[in-house]
Amino acid sequence: MSEVIVITSGKGGVGKTTTTANLGAGLAIAGKRVALIDVDTGLRNLDLLLGLENRIMYDLIDVTEGRQPYKKALVKHKKFSSLYLLPTSQVKDKSAVRPEQLIKLCEEMRPEFDYILIDCPAGIEQGFATAIAAADCAIVVTMPEISAVRDADKIIGELGRADKNNIKLIVNRIRPQMVEKGDMLDMEDINDLLSIECIGQVPDDELVIKATNDGKPVITMEKSMAGQAYRNIVRRIFGEQVPFMTFPKEGFFGRLKKAFGL
Amino acid sequence: MSEEIVKIKGSKSGLKLDFAQGADFASIERDIRGKLESGSGFFTRGTVIQVSPSALRKGDRDRLKKLFSQHGVLFRTTDPLQELKAREKKQAEKQKAVEKKHEEEVQQMVVVNRTLRGGQEIRTDSSVLICGNVNPGAQIIAGGSIDVRGTCRGVVHAGANGNTQAFIVADKLMPMQIRIANLIARAPDDAAPEESDNAERAMIRDGQIVIESIKR
Ligand SMILES: Nc1ncnc2c1ncn2[C@@H]1O[C@H](COP(=O)(O)OP(=O)(O)OP(=O)(O)O)[C@@H](O)[C@H]1O
Ligand SMILES: [Mg+2]
Repeated sequence: MSEVIVITSGKGGVGKTTTTANLGAGLAIAGKRVALIDVDTGLRNLDLLLGLENRIMYDLIDVTEGRQPYKKALVKHKKFSSLYLLPTSQVKDKSAVRPEQLIKLCEEMRPEFDYILIDCPAGIEQGFATAIAAADCAIVVTMPEISAVRDADKIIGELGRADKNNIKLIVNRIRPQMVEKGDMLDMEDINDLLSIECIGQVPDDELVIKATNDGKPVITMEKSMAGQAYRNIVRRIFGEQVPFMTFPKEGFFGRLKKAFGL
Repeated sequence: MSEEIVKIKGSKSGLKLDFAQGADFASIERDIRGKLESGSGFFTRGTVIQVSPSALRKGDRDRLKKLFSQHGVLFRTTDPLQELKAREKKQAEKQKAVEKKHEEEVQQMVVVNRTLRGGQEIRTDSSVLICGNVNPGAQIIAGGSIDVRGTCRGVVHAGANGNTQAFIVADKLMPMQIRIANLIARAPDDAAPEESDNAERAMIRDGQIVIESIKR
């Protein structure tokens, strides 16, 4: 049974593409056949994160317009042999792919893949409707700040209206120190408001940016906290019960400073 | 100048007929027939003719009615007192209908079995029961009352058609804005809203929105 998962957020820049790349890599490492479809037309960067930019021949629009079969447009990952990317066009505007076209494409791809991940554009315009149309379930990515959580709430409402009721939450870029100081929403606040199952709490991690520059997802970095969080999410997607990581809070010195009121 | 047998006066609701004192019906009828057939322009089609009921006997009234209707003119007997009564009755019925509507608004209930999320809105003339939360950015506008079996953080407007008896109840009442009928209360700008362990009810008392904790 294949599963089509859309990665969406509402607010832009919260980590949809990062999440798509890492979960894709993680699922492929676990031996699953995975296709990533980039629907964020005009703002292509999933290929960048995967270090596949220079291998693109055709794109999603070529496929949906019937100019190429999807297999010709798929780009195979260099390192993970069961991970494929269907890149988006960099020129056409966001309405270029229609919902029914993506549904048809996913139906065609399902027999060949265990997981199809769709990287959704930000916002709730036409691109959103297209991206979610084919999905069996949705992962909503948000950040621990009010505006991102509010937008996530709206997106969850929109998904419900489209009868997509299997929705999971990933909270990205958590900064434990800030949460502790009360400058950032904590998980309790977020869960209280969104009330959907949370499958991931990813810390803010400089290695994510380094990984982006290197074109290889942070999930492959053994020592990265964010990498560990993504590895845990993959296991939760498989249905395992994995406790959430506890982040090292303030160091000893931090606490000392506080004690002296500095 | 000899007195006319049938006098025609204009009135708000049509033309009114007055008959000369002591005129017998035969001559009245003759006079009217003459006026109708001469096409004097008084009785165009669709005109409403009124006559005081005391001026004619029942049988004669019916004959006149027939005569007029042959020429496409509506004939009615009027009684100013009765008219007034009818108008009052209509008014009372209208008032009752409004009251009944308010009652129905409260009695009928829209039940929503989910959380209302940001950007979602419910508009209804009746009351609303939400089995879930009302999140910030969500809005409920109800003719009746609003009951939230969860946390209410959105904008809620009860009694939106002017019903000042309407109220708002929530397990946790911490909305951006509360409106009842034409009154508005909003959350304080500073400081987090104080949390109450009890359910709370907002209603109008002495021309103000007040909030009190309740047991349920
Ligand atoms: N856990 C993290 N720690 C540090 N940086 C992160 C983390 N997750 C994402 N970022 C950075 O945040 C930026 C935005 O991430 P990303 O492109 O994945 O967001 P997006 O939701 O896909 O954005 P868009 O809405 O523009 O498509 C990137 O520069 C990325 O490297
Ligand atoms: Mg993106």
